[in-house]
Amino acid sequence: MRRVGLAVLSLLLLLALAACNDGGEEKASGAKNGVIELTLWTDWTEDRPENTVYKDMISKFNKQHDDIKIVLETIPHDQYETKLRTQAAGNQLPDMMRVWPGERTSVLVESGALLPLDPIIDQWKESIPESILDDYAVKGSYYAIPSNVSLTSLIFYNKELLKKAGYSDFPTTYEDLKKLIVALNKEGITPISLGNKATWPLQSVYISTIADRFTGSDFLPNVLSGKGSFVDKNFIQALSVIDELTKLNAFNEDMNTIDEATARNEFIKGSAAMHFAGSWAIGPILDNVENIDNIGVAPLPTFEGGKGEPSSISGVAGGGIALSSQLTKEEQEAAFEFLKFYYSETLYQNLVKANIIVPVNVEMDSQTPAIFKTANSFVQGGLAPVYDATLPAELTDIINNGLQAITLGEKSPKELAKEMQDALEKMK
Amino acid sequence: MTFVGLANFVELLKDPDFWNSVKNNILVVLASVFGQVPIALLIAILLNRKLKGSRLFRTIGFLPVVLSTVVISITWNLVYNSKYGLINEFLRSIGLDFLTQNWLGDPDLALYSVLVVIVWQFVGLYLIIFLAALQNIPNEVLESAKIDGASEWVTTWKITIPMIWDTILVAIVLCISGSLKTFDLIYVMTNGGPAHSTEVMAIYMFNETFKNFNYGYGSAVSVFIFLFSLVLIVIVRKLFKLKGI
Repeated sequence: MRRVGLAVLSLLLLLALAACNDGGEEKASGAKNGVIELTLWTDWTEDRPENTVYKDMISKFNKQHDDIKIVLETIPHDQYETKLRTQAAGNQLPDMMRVWPGERTSVLVESGALLPLDPIIDQWKESIPESILDDYAVKGSYYAIPSNVSLTSLIFYNKELLKKAGYSDFPTTYEDLKKLIVALNKEGITPISLGNKATWPLQSVYISTIADRFTGSDFLPNVLSGKGSFVDKNFIQALSVIDELTKLNAFNEDMNTIDEATARNEFIKGSAAMHFAGSWAIGPILDNVENIDNIGVAPLPTFEGGKGEPSSISGVAGGGIALSSQLTKEEQEAAFEFLKFYYSETLYQNLVKANIIVPVNVEMDSQTPAIFKTANSFVQGGLAPVYDATLPAELTDIINNGLQAITLGEKSPKELAKEMQDALEKMK
Repeated sequence: MTFVGLANFVELLKDPDFWNSVKNNILVVLASVFGQVPIALLIAILLNRKLKGSRLFRTIGFLPVVLSTVVISITWNLVYNSKYGLINEFLRSIGLDFLTQNWLGDPDLALYSVLVVIVWQFVGLYLIIFLAALQNIPNEVLESAKIDGASEWVTTWKITIPMIWDTILVAIVLCISGSLKTFDLIYVMTNGGPAHSTEVMAIYMFNETFKNFNYGYGSAVSVFIFLFSLVLIVIVRKLFKLKGI
């Protein structure tokens, strides 16, 4: 009996091995009967509106092109990155793959696995702001086009509550914002609803943009590469804004014990006049607010004496599609054609319909909610780096906890800046 | 990747955040031993008498043990909330406004607020253990004590407690080892915050390892937790053995 089982098992193993081999052969023969087949790896396993938009675009492309066929392979997000890196190490990347900006792309570029998109990049140079395209640039060459953008600093405000404090427009300077906060407190209205229990909102949502306004967008990369220091007058000033806001009683008193979603709900319920959050809050706010016309969205105010671009907002480019450097000339042409078709007006328009912020300015119909339109237009002001997307994890932890300590009066902005610099130096 | 020898341990010993977490952890152990065990014992002795509705009380007492820790944490978070939480609302409604506190938001108070919940959560467990032990005391012994004219008080101190002393020791050891690994409740309630004020060793280890990706340092913390627990348990065992003889 045991012997039979063993035989069956080895047979199965043989079959499994054979199956592996088969797949390999198929891939090797890129073009079949004149049809160029390109494999695309993605992580679109979840049933989300944007994933449907992406997949629709691909099936549309396949229908319109007889000579090119895009074969989709979806891998759950959690395993995707590991699989990609392993395959890259073995020089076995698929023809096209979904990638994310920053470190995750540059690792692949440095190993020579990706093909620069320089021959076709001009098509998007006009429509997508440079600072967003740059998220995928390594040493002057571009490797992917982002389909969407995540903004991390937007101010949502309740128009009715602002009116009670005597404001019909949202203040554009920090000085005026402080006056608004004082006026709201006088009316007994909580000015800003903040949920900082998880400690990242003050850093990702607040400091990313506030610090950029003071220091400029070059500050962070410079400091990380050793050409600057966190102990910098402008950076400390940015941290002091949090201290100042806390002392003005700008936040709800339970800010350190509630999470981000709870704070958002407080704002939606109308118990606070403002809520600072990223583009992730647009969906829930649109879904839950009773009268959406009462909600406005504004960029962070300008700060006097700041060195940064006053219109930029912290954010990162979303996922893009990169090409393998192993493609043949023929395949390259086909892949370029696909990218041109894929990253077209149609894609961005469909994404906008699903309330996804896109890097280009697209026509929107009257159905589109006003706050989404406004938020989407901020992208054209350019992106500032998001702190937790740029800093090493250890520094993120220090600034997260440090900002919380500032709100509790346990640490001064100067001490935090010094602590960050010390940690950075120790890492080297 | 380079071999750093004992560098992680050296750094660990110099890390003020880590020693803060050790201090907090010791407070958790003390609160558990001197909170959970005596309260559970008291309630167990009360419930062991033929009280009306003692079964109901037993169930109520045991309920927190069955509840998921996450549920407990979220519920208590709402109770403690400084704006609309049960405690502050109650204090306000009876005019004791000055007693209202930012229970979990104040770094000086947060740990004590969490300790109350930890005690509350596990009293039920020891209650059941003690009740089982109490019911094992032979009736003859208690009856003869009564015949000899011992009062309830004397019976409790001279007969009941000595007879379940072994169970109490087991409970204390369980209590110490349980509170050394405490993690989930604090993780959900405060996540170690605000400003590290409720961080215990396990939370510190978790944050270093999985949030900051310092696997080496996190492992060093884990090894320290293991040694610390081992030493503490050995000490406790030695202490009690001495008393037992």
